[in-house]
Amino acid sequence: MTSRQRRTVLSWLFLAPVVIVILFPYVVMVSTALKPSDEIFVFPPRWLPSRLAFENLSAMWVSTGFGRALLNSLIVGFGQTLLCIIFAIPAAYATARLTFTGSKLYRQFLLVTQMLSPIVLVIGLFRFIAGLGLIDSLLALILTGAAFNLAFAIWMLQSFMATIPREIEEAAWIDGASRIQSLVLVFLPLAAPALAVTCIFTFIASWNEFALALTLLRSGDQATLPLRIFTLVGGAYRIEWQQVMAATTLSTLPVALIFAFLQRRLVSGLALGAVK
Amino acid sequence: MRRHTGVSGFLAFVMILPSIVLTLWTVGYPVVDIAVTSIHSVNRFGRTTGFVGLANFAALLADPIFVASFWRTLIWTASVVAGTILVSLPIALVLQEDFAGRGLARVIIMLPWAISLTMNAVVWRWILNGQYGMLNALLFDLGLIDGPVEWLAQARPAFMIEIAIGIFVSMPFTVTILLGGLASLPSEIYEAARVDGASAIMRFRALTLPLLKPFINMAIVLNIIYVFNSFPIIWVLTQGDPANSTDILVTYLYKLAFRYGRLDLAAAMSIVMLLILLVFSVAYASMAMRSQSAE
Repeated sequence: MTSRQRRTVLSWLFLAPVVIVILFPYVVMVSTALKPSDEIFVFPPRWLPSRLAFENLSAMWVSTGFGRALLNSLIVGFGQTLLCIIFAIPAAYATARLTFTGSKLYRQFLLVTQMLSPIVLVIGLFRFIAGLGLIDSLLALILTGAAFNLAFAIWMLQSFMATIPREIEEAAWIDGASRIQSLVLVFLPLAAPALAVTCIFTFIASWNEFALALTLLRSGDQATLPLRIFTLVGGAYRIEWQQVMAATTLSTLPVALIFAFLQRRLVSGLALGAVK
Repeated sequence: MRRHTGVSGFLAFVMILPSIVLTLWTVGYPVVDIAVTSIHSVNRFGRTTGFVGLANFAALLADPIFVASFWRTLIWTASVVAGTILVSLPIALVLQEDFAGRGLARVIIMLPWAISLTMNAVVWRWILNGQYGMLNALLFDLGLIDGPVEWLAQARPAFMIEIAIGIFVSMPFTVTILLGGLASLPSEIYEAARVDGASAIMRFRALTLPLLKPFINMAIVLNIIYVFNSFPIIWVLTQGDPANSTDILVTYLYKLAFRYGRLDLAAAMSIVMLLILLVFSVAYASMAMRSQSAE
């Protein structure tokens, strides 16, 4: 056995318990989602379904209003990402490239707002949104979500932007382009991968957001996916777990797949944003 | 040259202004509103009535559930953060090694990150279900229990399980920071240490740990802030019950505001929590600034 083979065996042996604990919930989630309903409430529980009950998915889709919640989550996700990135691009460019008085103060301001979570400000936020007449509106989630993710987006974008060589822009200036022209035509295309990563993170944060949705939305019609699924296990006398698990599977799988495929890019971007 | 700085200074101001306005409007307004509410009394229709000074804070300190939640938050934060660091450090060290399938291992370790805390907690609630959950199935098959156990119905096991889940969901982020730190360590000194005959354990204690310390500190402070603020795990699993026995500050705050309708006490509680967070934010800001100026 070569030393690399030995290292492979030892590493996987060491990681095995962690990997099992991480994968266990997904196995339970998918297996429950595909169990026929009469195999859910039995003790001892069966590990695997006797047949794949794909009818759970369609039954869940109808009985939980999944389509509506999916649409709401998509609207909030795209709206929030767009709003956040529009505000973040100029701010990140200024912090990465321009020298200005108060830039240190501005960075500290960003860092401090990054620490505030919506849940700590929950009453103030509720009254703020009520004052705007936006309770139970998806717009409320777009606005507040964008504001709470903004510092993170700026921070992440600017640490990417700082790695783009200055000479490229300077060459554009020499060719007679203004700052804004060179920003839009030269700089932003170079920053496209960074923009994509930042957008994906903002979207995932919005997709997974719970506390704001719980506080600011009132009717089931407006609920986003996490809130919808929470209400499924909240009040009901008898919880249809196979449907709940079908709903969690459908709403987590796309994000998990995107994340798995882009993991290397996303994680290196986040490490850059978090540590610097 | 001077003129140039002036122009870019103005441009910078225009560019950062929208972000400042949005943040001050949506985050600043609630902070001010909470501060004002915390020193007034609020009637049951949510209207602010009279100035009461620090009476809300005094009432809060006299509330045994608040005091219990405060201490429980300390235990919650300290256990989750300490557990996360202790689990993440060896994982990061292994993931740093070169072995077959490392890419796959990294994807799996990072996976809980992509899944929302709410979904994680919902799935765990089913796993822990007192009658039909898979944890009972597993322990039954292993012969460790004779019949179903209601894991979430008693305070102590429920809270311990919540801490374990907290560690499990904080790990991907922490491993990422530590991997970033490990990648930045200069390989030459390791060669030198190996030539000098230092064992792996000696190299870890004399080189890796001290060099990694800024990253560990950063991970600790960021995790303290995140875990202190963490709401969905406890809310989905137990809602702070039975009888407020798993409440931490954020869950009790939510109950005070939206279940018991005590906006005045909730506002005072928010202020207390903001002050606690401020201490850690300042610690984080100074660390982040230091690491940036060190480059």
